[in-house]
Amino acid sequence: MKKHLFSLTFLVLAGVAVSAQEVKFEEFDLDNGMHVILHQDNSAPVVTTSVMYNVGGKDGDRSRTGFAHFFEHLLFEGTENIERGEWFTIVSSNGGSNNANTSQDRTYYYEVFPSNNLELGLWMESERLMHPIINQIGVDTQNEVVKEEKRLRYDNAPYGAILASITENLFEVHPYKDKNIGEMEHLDAATLEEFRAYFKKYYVPNNAVLVVAGDIDIANAKKLAKDYFAPIPRGADVVRNFPKEKPITETKKAKAYDTNIQVPAIIAAYRTPGFKERDAYILDMISSYLSGGKSSVLYKKLVDEQKQALAVQAVNVGQMDYNVFALFALPLGDIPLATLLAEMDEEVLKMQEELISERDFQKLQNQFENQFVNSNSSVSGIANSLARYYMLYDDINLINNEIDIYRSVTREEIQAVAKKYLNKNQRLELEYLPVEKKDK
Amino acid sequence: MKISIYIVLFLTSIGVNAQIDRSKQPKPGPSPKIALEVPNEFEMNNGMKVLVVENHKLPRVAYSLTIDNTPIKEGDKAGMSSLLGSMLGNGTLNIPKDKFNEEIDFLGANLNFRANGGSARALSKYSDRILELMADAAINPLLTEEEFQKEKDKLIEGLKTQEKSVDAVARRVGGALSYGTHHPKGEFVSEKTVNNVTLNNVRLYYEKYFNPNKAYLVIIGDVDLKTIKKQVKKHFGKWEKSIAISATVPEAQPNEQYTQINFVDMPNAVQSNISLTNNVDLKMGDADYHSVLIANKILGGGFNSYLNMNLREEHGYTYGARSRVGADKYKSRFTAGASVRNAVTDSAVVQTLKEINRIKNEDVTEEALKNAKAKYVGDFVLALERPQTVARYALNIKLNDLPDDFYTTYLEKINNVSKEDVKRVANKYFKTENARIVVVGKGSDVLSNLEKTGIPIKYYDPYANKTEKPSYDIEIPSDVNVASVLNAYIAAIGGRAKLDNVNSVLMLAEAELQPGMVLNLEMKKTVKNQFMQEMKAMGNSMSKQVLDGDAGYSVVQGQKKDMNEDQIKKVKAESSPFPEVNYLSQNVTLEKIEAIDGENAYKIKISDELSIFYSVETGLKIKEAKAVGQNTSSIFYTDYKEVAGVKFPFKLKQTMGPRSFDFLVKEIKVNEGVADADFK
Repeated sequence: MKKHLFSLTFLVLAGVAVSAQEVKFEEFDLDNGMHVILHQDNSAPVVTTSVMYNVGGKDGDRSRTGFAHFFEHLLFEGTENIERGEWFTIVSSNGGSNNANTSQDRTYYYEVFPSNNLELGLWMESERLMHPIINQIGVDTQNEVVKEEKRLRYDNAPYGAILASITENLFEVHPYKDKNIGEMEHLDAATLEEFRAYFKKYYVPNNAVLVVAGDIDIANAKKLAKDYFAPIPRGADVVRNFPKEKPITETKKAKAYDTNIQVPAIIAAYRTPGFKERDAYILDMISSYLSGGKSSVLYKKLVDEQKQALAVQAVNVGQMDYNVFALFALPLGDIPLATLLAEMDEEVLKMQEELISERDFQKLQNQFENQFVNSNSSVSGIANSLARYYMLYDDINLINNEIDIYRSVTREEIQAVAKKYLNKNQRLELEYLPVEKKDK
Repeated sequence: MKISIYIVLFLTSIGVNAQIDRSKQPKPGPSPKIALEVPNEFEMNNGMKVLVVENHKLPRVAYSLTIDNTPIKEGDKAGMSSLLGSMLGNGTLNIPKDKFNEEIDFLGANLNFRANGGSARALSKYSDRILELMADAAINPLLTEEEFQKEKDKLIEGLKTQEKSVDAVARRVGGALSYGTHHPKGEFVSEKTVNNVTLNNVRLYYEKYFNPNKAYLVIIGDVDLKTIKKQVKKHFGKWEKSIAISATVPEAQPNEQYTQINFVDMPNAVQSNISLTNNVDLKMGDADYHSVLIANKILGGGFNSYLNMNLREEHGYTYGARSRVGADKYKSRFTAGASVRNAVTDSAVVQTLKEINRIKNEDVTEEALKNAKAKYVGDFVLALERPQTVARYALNIKLNDLPDDFYTTYLEKINNVSKEDVKRVANKYFKTENARIVVVGKGSDVLSNLEKTGIPIKYYDPYANKTEKPSYDIEIPSDVNVASVLNAYIAAIGGRAKLDNVNSVLMLAEAELQPGMVLNLEMKKTVKNQFMQEMKAMGNSMSKQVLDGDAGYSVVQGQKKDMNEDQIKKVKAESSPFPEVNYLSQNVTLEKIEAIDGENAYKIKISDELSIFYSVETGLKIKEAKAVGQNTSSIFYTDYKEVAGVKFPFKLKQTMGPRSFDFLVKEIKVNEGVADADFK
């Protein structure tokens, strides 16, 4: 009898586990156009407040690159009600953590607090949008800090400039060609007026989404979100019209140099559809097939069996307008870069000529299911995903059903997509090299 | 079946405001109630202890194995443990490698090993199988010669990828100097030590140290205790206990007698890695532990710490400055520092010392103390969201011999730290009088200023061996002066008589930016203060500079601008086919000998913006460095060939920041192809 009871309990728990996977949320618009998303999860006394702005490295004047990232620094400098230098003290003295990050497509700010500080988080984010102080002291300080960040991440780090070297060669007219962190000369030349104009253009409630997630009471959170954000005036709509890239029809070849490396790298990079497109999902699966795990075709062949590569990777870098699909390898010993490239090409060619095996196809499905389960494991991660799917994918329900897209992909589609995009004449071949020794 | 202990939060709490007043910071609501779960626990016959945290929020499970060996010294075979770690988890005596790896991937799972443990993650529907594979890999590893050779090659090549990494060198040298290379925590893996390792060494290492005696298996996720207990017993029960090994850990290097800079030269560095360090004896169970956490938090444990507010926010020297204190059964380190641009290296060292001394000499404010405590409380609460936290706490109690109430009393102890405690422990553990300030950076840029700090400097190579001071300040021989360097150059390219016959020079060069994208450079000079330089890309003029006597102009992307007086003066100075002849009678200075790509050269300063380097050995001009705003643009001259009896460089490599272009000279004409009309 006891035993039965126990297993019954177990069943109930298992049932809970499956349904707990679904992320529930509520959403509404404020009158000023700001979108608000609420997600309640009371399992730990933690709350995340976050705002995603639809502005990224790709936006703005091309002689002023790096503004989006620069703002991610500047908007911690203080507001009309938060003194300069106080931002981080307020967060940490209330037991919170906070950060922000910028991609080519969007800028994201968030705080995580013990749940009794929900109001504080909303106050801070609304202050940032309503009336931040943008002055010369802040600009000058953050200008130096950003330069140090660039040195740290790009100039002093082995392989640090690799992505920038790919995109500057892969894109010709679309702003993805420019470094997300920007050109330092552009930041040096920028005036205070230009920073203020940029803020006015992009930092408007109708270009932002607020997420409140975690240990909240929905009615209370709703009220607070309105109290703090509704008074912020609506701005002009942001209109974008980026130039379209012409398809690449002839292999581009380029070289880049890094003083911090000894071992060169070979990269083959393709310009592929942006992350919303079905083909982008299929290319995610292709990258997993090629290099996800020790049994993947490229790892197994180049690293394990033929011992030609120290590392090999196929990545699908997700962006809104175009993704970058790249094959990347580091040679082992004296293996020429051309050999590595030819070996990788051979496997891509196989994908184009034959269907992948049923077993490998099932493996892919299992890997993506595992990834899906893990993708919603923290409240702050869920907050970020909700904002992203709403703002950049135009479909917030992807938080629960993105997995269905992967599930619906067939082996034939995988083959067709490999054929459509991964051809030699459609790509950039980049040799990423150590700086040459002195001439003989 | 949850065992939970409720903990009092030391957060100030005040009622919620009814109406908002955005000019005031909102007050926190009532403190949330938090509960600290206690994992279930059982021990196997072979000595392995198992901790289970049930969490059914997501259908997944994570296993983590930790073998609590004392630190093991690998000596001249350093790399054994690393090789063992990479060989484990690649097949077993029962399952061939390919089949094993394929199954892990097929399940969508992850499995990784280290020399002292491993971890696995999977969806809970595969929890039994992944545990079985993990156990099989741990108990019956496939340690073959072929795999050994492969991992060895990869390890050596992997070391190469880090060879020029300033941060990797800083980590290695910091540990090696602080603990001493005789200490397990100070020794490091190098190509040489890896080459000393044999497969047999790795097998013996496995036999000796990879045992259940001191092993802990932590299981977190969607499992039920009763079932998982059976499964663990089934799969890990076969793991045999071995004889207990007693290892003594050697004494670490004592702290230095006096504070010193330990400098490592990395000519490729654009930032210096600064790390002030000393060894500490601090265990998690020590009475000082909580006070040290708070002291470090205030000094460099977060964004609004002393160090970061000074080095980043006040001075803009760095992206971030931090300090850390380790707490460990065996010895650990205090470190404080940042990565800063070359030009401010010395200032950053001084400011770092200043902030550490500040926390040692001045009381922290009540506010700073309160804020640091609040951050600990917050971090404690935030960490509860992750089921791993409970497991980590339980494991820490075991690994560090802590009392059972360590975490339930943790916040109370944090709350009891006083400002006197902070000052006391800062003086006890942050040894500014006995510290090494390890600086890894570009010596030719930073050393002369570092010397001005007055702190004694010792020099080390990237492998922590003592060396001499780097020799870019080679002493200039007494018989060498500006005139002798310039005359040696003139002699080297053909001699004064030949140069005097040159009235004009025409040079055509091109550089390929990328295949199909060619830059053309045309330059004309005469002895009559005439100069013309034009850069074309794909046939279109990008920039042009023209000087004719006392007037000149430049055209940049179609926009023409007359030169001002200052610009004319500068261009004029360079307009002569061989400006060195003029420098002989001008006020230029011989500064020093500097190595340019390994070749020693005399550096002659022509003006505040321009310096020229002449090879000590050949006399030839090998580099020109010109300041352009905050950056330096350099031209490297190589491949000298004779035209009309005079040697000209046929390869010009121009660098600007990280960019570089190789201009190959296609044609040089002397006394032909140049007319006055070219300078109109």
